[in-house]
Amino acid sequence: MDVALDSLKFIDLTASSIAFLFIVGFIGGLVSGFIGSGGAFVLTPGMMSLGVPGTVAVASNMCHKFPKALVGAIKRFRYGQVDIKLGLVMAASAGIGVQVGIKIQNMILAAWGQAGSNLYVSLSFVAVLVLVGGYVFRDAMTSGKRGAAEAVAPLALRLQKIELWPMMTFKTAGVRISMWFTIPVGFATGMLAATIAVGGFIGVPGMIYVIGATGLVASASELVIAFAMGLGGTINWAMHGMVDIRLTLIILAGSLLGVQLGAIGTTIVKESLIKFVMGSIMLIVAVSRALAVPKYLAELKLLDIDPGYVSIMDKASFVIMCAALTFGAVIILGSMYKARKANARLEQEAYSQA
Amino acid sequence: MAQEMTKKQALVRMIGFGIASAAVFGTVFHFASPITEIFSRGGMYAALPIATVFLVSYVHGAFASNLWSALGIEAKRPAKAVQPTKTKRPEVRATLNA
Repeated sequence: MDVALDSLKFIDLTASSIAFLFIVGFIGGLVSGFIGSGGAFVLTPGMMSLGVPGTVAVASNMCHKFPKALVGAIKRFRYGQVDIKLGLVMAASAGIGVQVGIKIQNMILAAWGQAGSNLYVSLSFVAVLVLVGGYVFRDAMTSGKRGAAEAVAPLALRLQKIELWPMMTFKTAGVRISMWFTIPVGFATGMLAATIAVGGFIGVPGMIYVIGATGLVASASELVIAFAMGLGGTINWAMHGMVDIRLTLIILAGSLLGVQLGAIGTTIVKESLIKFVMGSIMLIVAVSRALAVPKYLAELKLLDIDPGYVSIMDKASFVIMCAALTFGAVIILGSMYKARKANARLEQEAYSQA
Repeated sequence: MAQEMTKKQALVRMIGFGIASAAVFGTVFHFASPITEIFSRGGMYAALPIATVFLVSYVHGAFASNLWSALGIEAKRPAKAVQPTKTKRPEVRATLNA
């Protein structure tokens, strides 16, 4: 039963490409299980670097994302961290955000072409990641130093006091807030997902600083949003025949191992570490995307730059992006190892005292 | 002892789901070309890749979960908050020591 595949759409798989996709899948899954999102931003360019066409890369990535998010969400639900209602409410407004994001993308594509669209994506990446990532990172550093339990963000506290019909209660998150304040967060999550494919970089901080959920509940509930949005996106892409099931399954093989490990990690390490990992990854990815900006400016004839430098910056951008994910994974695994060791020592001491 | 049993159970389940997972992956990759071609026809054929990833997420997900349990990597149970024991204060009663 030998069927020749369309070589323009489907690549030939080699041992090295399978190993690359499996490893990136595992690391991406680990980070997603821990901070609720991530991994997708490396997988799409990673697949494209293997020769996979952009649309097939996006579709195959999305097709692995929703089952991974489902498995992670179930695992973290068992730990009592997922607020399903919050996730679904956010996902509903995120769906509208995605549609608006796609429309804006198409308008930019029609007005300024592919280079203009790429420039818009990269600038959005840099602006959002520097602003939000910087805030999350600073908060992680200060709360980490304090070592105290996570305090509800001042903005969230103020918003929770405004009685604006309809008020919604999110039991697991322990939050009562007007629906009107959840909509902008969900909408921005969807917009970002349509623009840079990682809505969680807005969704998780939004749930923490605007709605008032803890980092643990926000990152776990983000998996519900990722599942709902990923499933919707996959149905759309699969109906256009863009999913390469081979690539999806290889990534999924790695990411299902990683996502469960990441979920376990959230119960072992300090809660402020979620914010630290998220903030760090966002800032490193911002540097990576900033390096891609000159290339698009040159393509739009807005900047005169040596093509040799552009090529170096392009490669450096991809390497830094992979480094961001690896950094997150090393921090998570290192912290889990340390926490387990400390727990074992405490148990040993308790046993010897008894 | 109880933990050893759990680990043993996890190991058995890991092997079971591992075999099932290997069977699913083996089937897809043995017939990789025709399956990829059929799954990418679009339209109603979209149900096929979606159903496959749901199946893989169940089988391979269960394998992965049991693998970590068998390796002893498990979630830390939250410490139960110590509830202050309710002690009934003795009622103040007027007593007459006559």
